[in-house]
Amino acid sequence: MTAVLKAEKLSKWYGNILGISDINLEIGSGITGLLGPNGAGKSTFLKIAAGQLKPKIGSLTVFGAAVFGNHRLFRRIGFCPEHDSAYMEMSGWQFILLLARLHGFDRNEAGAMSEKALATVGLLESKDREIKGYSFGMRQRLRLASSILHEPEMLMLDEPLRGVDPLWRIKIMKLIKDYGKQGRTVIISSHILPEIEAMTSEIVLIHQGKIFAKGDIHRIRGLIDSHPHQVSIRCLQPRQLAQKLIDSDFVLSVDFDKDGHSLTVKTNQRDLFFTVLIGLIAESGLEIEEITSPDDNLQAVFDYLIGK
Amino acid sequence: MNMQTQNPTRIIFASFFKSGFKAKRTRVFILLSLIPVVLMLAARVMETAGSLAADASADFFAKVMLVLYFQLLIPVLALFFGSTIVNEELDNKTLVYLTTVPVSRRAVLLGKYLAAFLQATLLVGAGFLLCFLAAALTRLGEAAAWEELAVFLGTALLAMFCYSALFTAAGAFMKKSVLIGLFFVFGWESVVQYFPGITQKFTIIHWIKSLLPVLPGEGGFLIFQLQPSPAMESVLILLGAGCVFLFLAVFIFERKEYILSDNA
Repeated sequence: MTAVLKAEKLSKWYGNILGISDINLEIGSGITGLLGPNGAGKSTFLKIAAGQLKPKIGSLTVFGAAVFGNHRLFRRIGFCPEHDSAYMEMSGWQFILLLARLHGFDRNEAGAMSEKALATVGLLESKDREIKGYSFGMRQRLRLASSILHEPEMLMLDEPLRGVDPLWRIKIMKLIKDYGKQGRTVIISSHILPEIEAMTSEIVLIHQGKIFAKGDIHRIRGLIDSHPHQVSIRCLQPRQLAQKLIDSDFVLSVDFDKDGHSLTVKTNQRDLFFTVLIGLIAESGLEIEEITSPDDNLQAVFDYLIGK
Repeated sequence: MNMQTQNPTRIIFASFFKSGFKAKRTRVFILLSLIPVVLMLAARVMETAGSLAADASADFFAKVMLVLYFQLLIPVLALFFGSTIVNEELDNKTLVYLTTVPVSRRAVLLGKYLAAFLQATLLVGAGFLLCFLAAALTRLGEAAAWEELAVFLGTALLAMFCYSALFTAAGAFMKKSVLIGLFFVFGWESVVQYFPGITQKFTIIHWIKSLLPVLPGEGGFLIFQLQPSPAMESVLILLGAGCVFLFLAVFIFERKEYILSDNA
């Protein structure tokens, strides 16, 4: 693998607060998912990679060069920040056009590139509206447009699916996968495992500023699947549902909640449980109001993996 | 692809100059810069009505210029326009967009500085002109009146350049630069300018006042201890100091790491 991004003994902290610590990592072409719970150090890592922060110790290079203060690199890099920020007084068109011009395109080319980027994220029709009138999801898509408009060789996306509606979530995932298939390098951060899983099998797990695991997602998935999951189901007939579930081998326990309309199921085979549950609901016609998984998040997985 | 056909500083300048006028802050300052005009008009009306002595409005014009413009409006406008060049990008977390394009930080800062400088100068210049027209209505045919306006405008331009460059550097260096700036304008500048001897030369206002057509003792309003420096020296000091502050702003902005919070 030819490393596009290379981090060596990379550490960063803010005063007494640790951002990342002693990270050694090489990332090549294709999509790499950067996974970790909130506060794990994903954004710090990406901000150093995008030249927004300086490493405290160690180094990070992209295309063989340090990034901070190296503005020429940004012809080849696209960065989508996590912050919900934009020049609110500008229209979506003015914002993207400004960035296209700053990427060095002449007026006509910048116009064409901006139009293409806005069309890709579905904002062409609302391009003349002021950004402050956009919804959160639209602003998120606008940020994505700003990062892809110059068709970079390397794309870094910090939680790009946050706040995006389900339809656009699927479209953006496809866009990212297409980027990866073209041989470009894409680094995408998220704290939601299924999101990353839908785009790539190559993941880096970050926890408390350190790389916890790196490699194929299926290996990690195996560990996660054996992690006992709790699933809360709110329905009108909780006892009937419990009867149907209790005989299954993968159900470890069923508890009824005090409100009389909910039950919490503990399972050691999460995916199988959900498959069976959906079948049961379809067969029996039980009315389900809500299904939540209190520990279906990365923090719970990390806690499990590190044996807390 | 046709790359780099236009100067990025010019692109940033054009974009932020235009969008700057939509900012609420600019609208507030437009209203603020009209206060001297209203006062000047009031003086003119009173003079016409006989409540003020004949030619009192000309004297009032000089005082309005000195007190309201040079000691208040110009430093305050420069402070808010200058210090927000970087700080607004940090507060709104938009700096990332200007620092992840293939444009040097120097070009970004200079483009934004020029836009802010021109906006502030236009606000002051428009007010100046209106005040002048109100004050010199009866002597618009006299060359001396226009010379006086040219001196005020030229001095205002230099003052704005120097103050805004200073506050741009302060804004690039620290987040709470407005507070420090207010202390500088209303503390240091207001007090030290009246110290006798060389001390008053450590203020910007000293060099500005040295260029204005108000002599020591004349006009009488808090300028009795001004020991003016030669005009050419004052111009060079203001230009030089402005350039040094601007260089400092670029130097800081190119090297400083700006943390936009939420560093998870």
